[in-house]
Amino acid sequence: MTHEDDRSISEALSEARDAGRACALATIVGTRGSTPRKVGARMVVDPSVGLVGTVGGGCGEAEVIESARRVLDTGAPERVRVNLTEDFTTWSPAVCGGVMDVFVERVLPDDPSISSSDS
Amino acid sequence: MTSEAGTPPVSSSERRPLRAREAAHLLLTTSAEGGTAAVATVVGGPDGSAVGSRLARLRPHDPPGAERTLGHLGSDRLDVLAVQLLDEAMSDPRARDGIRTVDGAEPYELYVEIRRPLRELVVVGAGHVAQPMAHLGALLGYRVTVLDDRPDFATRERFPDADRLLRVDFSDPFAGVPLHERSHLLLVTRGHKYDYECLIRALRADPAPAYIGMIGSRRRVRATYVQLVDDGFATDVLDRIHAPVGLDIGAETPEEIAVAVAAELVMLDRGGRGTPLREVERVAERFFGSGGADTPSTSEEKDT
Repeated sequence: MTHEDDRSISEALSEARDAGRACALATIVGTRGSTPRKVGARMVVDPSVGLVGTVGGGCGEAEVIESARRVLDTGAPERVRVNLTEDFTTWSPAVCGGVMDVFVERVLPDDPSISSSDS
Repeated sequence: MTSEAGTPPVSSSERRPLRAREAAHLLLTTSAEGGTAAVATVVGGPDGSAVGSRLARLRPHDPPGAERTLGHLGSDRLDVLAVQLLDEAMSDPRARDGIRTVDGAEPYELYVEIRRPLRELVVVGAGHVAQPMAHLGALLGYRVTVLDDRPDFATRERFPDADRLLRVDFSDPFAGVPLHERSHLLLVTRGHKYDYECLIRALRADPAPAYIGMIGSRRRVRATYVQLVDDGFATDVLDRIHAPVGLDIGAETPEEIAVAVAAELVMLDRGGRGTPLREVERVAERFFGSGGADTPSTSEEKDT
């Protein structure tokens, strides 16, 4: 994650809060083999806006979006293992060769805001 | 990492829950302000209830030593272990984001992310190479500063994505730009006399910057080195200077030179070698034999 990536994720989370919406945050927390994005890559799934950031484009992102839908529904965080080791000849997008672990959690609009924190 | 003698650090802690949004904001702002921050998120454990909880450790740049802890992971024991883990990660420049397992009767998996002071790119001289360089630096996530001694060069119009544009005197170019371990300097002034003055300042800076690159042909670089030695610098100082600057990609235009320098910065940051990946991986040779593509050898297939 570059500073710019961090900034756009942070902005997307703030935008959802300001609009009073819940959204889901997906983070790649582990990878093995070749994956399009590495540990730390993030994506916000905001039902009203769409996606901000990416955890890998065509390579496995659909599974993460599925998970985000469930997490938004239930509130229970999920850890999704996305397998990108499909055979090349299937012409599936998931042929990068690796496996990635994605943590998906719900972010509610009424989480404690920054302004209330003070040391 | 904590001061055992002298003035104790001013520390504070807040035990209220730390949520994803606030954690992301803390990481962003702390590093932008020159500090270091780390967050642990429980992503696995014997008891699902702690999953998703977070704890942050912050080491702001100013005031130094004032550490903060925010958040709570579900048990005091886990909090103590997390603080230890995060402090170690922040103090180890090679530590990367990822899962750490906290052992014990009830093992937990903590996802640790660390943000260090924002990397800075200081481009000295606001000429032809500086423009694409500032652009690429911003693209790569550097905080970009452009310096020149002429009024009409370090302008917003010419450098739309630079963070800071400063008019300086090249005899003391870094007066308004505090250098630190995450500073990357590129010397591209209009004359080697100025490059040399700035180079001396850069070499004497304490703490030493992460990167000092200087543009110039082999001949000009050699002349600079001779001058440095004449001026009393030890020859091992020369190893700290990246000159001629950039990777060998045959760059000729200012834009191409900037790409070569940007590639060198990424290589040094990530620990790459600057070799074309096809030569590193040699996929055809390794999996089909040296000759070509007719005999696939399937037995030794191995992903790296």
